[in-house]
Amino acid sequence: MSKFDIFKNGVTKENPILAQQVGMCATLAITTSLINGVGMGVAVIAVLTGSNIVISALRKFIPDEVRIPAFVIIIAAFTTIIDLVMHAYTFELYQALGVFIPLIVVNCIILARAEAFAFSNGVLDSAIDGLGMGVGYLVAMILLSSIREILGNGTILGFSILPESYEPMMMAVQPPGAFILLGLLIGLVNYLSNRKNRKKA
Amino acid sequence: MKNNYVRLGGILFIIAAISAGILAWLNGATSDLIAKNEAMASMDPAVLEAVMPGAVMFNEYEDTALVDKIKSENDKFVDLLTAVDASDNQLGNVVRTWSTVSGYGGDMELFVGVSTEGKITGVNVVTHSETSGLGSRTTEPEFWSQFVGKDAGEGITDFDAISGVTKSSNSFLSAVNNAISIYSEYLK
Amino acid sequence: MELVSLFITSFIVNNIIFSQFLGTCPFLGVSKKIDTAAGMGIAVIFVITLASIITFIVQKAILVPMELEYLQTIVFILIIAALVQFVEMFLKKSAPGLYQALGIYLPLITTNCAVLGVAINNIKFDYTFIESIVYSVGTSAGFMLAIVLFAGVRDKVDNADLPESLKGSAISLITAGLMSVAFLGFSGLKL
Repeated sequence: MSKFDIFKNGVTKENPILAQQVGMCATLAITTSLINGVGMGVAVIAVLTGSNIVISALRKFIPDEVRIPAFVIIIAAFTTIIDLVMHAYTFELYQALGVFIPLIVVNCIILARAEAFAFSNGVLDSAIDGLGMGVGYLVAMILLSSIREILGNGTILGFSILPESYEPMMMAVQPPGAFILLGLLIGLVNYLSNRKNRKKA
Repeated sequence: MKNNYVRLGGILFIIAAISAGILAWLNGATSDLIAKNEAMASMDPAVLEAVMPGAVMFNEYEDTALVDKIKSENDKFVDLLTAVDASDNQLGNVVRTWSTVSGYGGDMELFVGVSTEGKITGVNVVTHSETSGLGSRTTEPEFWSQFVGKDAGEGITDFDAISGVTKSSNSFLSAVNNAISIYSEYLK
Repeated sequence: MELVSLFITSFIVNNIIFSQFLGTCPFLGVSKKIDTAAGMGIAVIFVITLASIITFIVQKAILVPMELEYLQTIVFILIIAALVQFVEMFLKKSAPGLYQALGIYLPLITTNCAVLGVAINNIKFDYTFIESIVYSVGTSAGFMLAIVLFAGVRDKVDNADLPESLKGSAISLITAGLMSVAFLGFSGLKL
């Protein structure tokens, strides 16, 4: 598999949210505005890439029997780094994302990539895999948070883009909107990929 | 077998220790900024705006020795703060003080803002126990705005007390005057 | 009285799944049969409550006095992982019946973000010891309520004639969304 294929795999075929449907908690909770979605996506990219690199570099040193606790410590350390950095430098975003920053540690996608990829592949490949999966996560966050912000607020990044006459659909930024819109988004992705597969066949 | 457990435990311990070390360093590097962010978030923007228009934050006054000196010499004085705007420019100082004359319900505690030019920028009541609807009217801008723009170099004697609540008004004035005396004695 | 309202709020009004989104992964993944869902729910109540008690004590007795709050995430997740292991071993030895019923759900709980989420929220919201226990029990009972209800609905959904693309997690999410609308109705509840 070429380096680019590893990257592309994470964004499209094995997209964490749209295809694998893991790490949903934060996706549902904080996608009320595009800025939050992007912030969370970038935080996940950082933790995922960082932990993938370190775990891959240490894969000969970490014994098989204790790999899971070792992964958890490393992932938790990266999560705390992001937590501290955001707390210090992007305070408003930190407050908006709240408990979901420390919860990156239990985001299944990160442990899954450590186990499935980083622990058995080289450092560079693992870094690319982390980046690809992270960007895939970010893309899904951007899609869902843009849809929710536009429908629920009539704005994008805080700027009004819809005419005055548009009555914001409150439901879109409330919890039910999160579930329903993500469900429809996944349905749409399924539809598109089914159609593509059928064409190939 | 037992050796193996020690080895596994040891490796986990090394990973945990290195992680903790890195985090300890990063925590040290960011703790000041984090504390500042938290302090800023806990400050009510309405109070900031009332006491010193344009201020986003009240910091501790830098010369802590002076603050301790004022504390020991003026027993109504609570704290001295520096007001800064969004780009960290100093706008002036804020004196936090109790009144020297009691109102109906005891002493009042105020923030008094003094600009770098020595003018009063605003006054805000921190705590009071005056009668609601009467003495509590000293917390309203209609009353305290008369002090805004006054020279903080000399005590104020002439002011419009709220009719019927002279005692509270006087208590309020005494706190403002205490702030003025602190300003002119230590900061001018 | 405040404790009662805290319980109701965490149980229904701020339901962990339908309004806080914690624990959505096991929620969407596991629950297909009502009795499995109930078993999972009981295991979660047990682990969340125990984990909250231990993490609360560790936070107040070790991390805060030693100014190690920044290690909270690492320490809490390790406590939860170890706790789940111990509970599993303990049940296996001393309560085989209970182990048979709950054992298979236990490993899944470590990565359930609800456990860590509740432990962190206890500290974040500055709860007292008693309040944090009430909050933990209420929240995890809310989790159980949600997955049991959902399992019942899903039984029907799986047999419905759906467009191919919506099958699986898409329709699950949409169903959860509609249930969340119902729970939104509780948000007007004055307590």
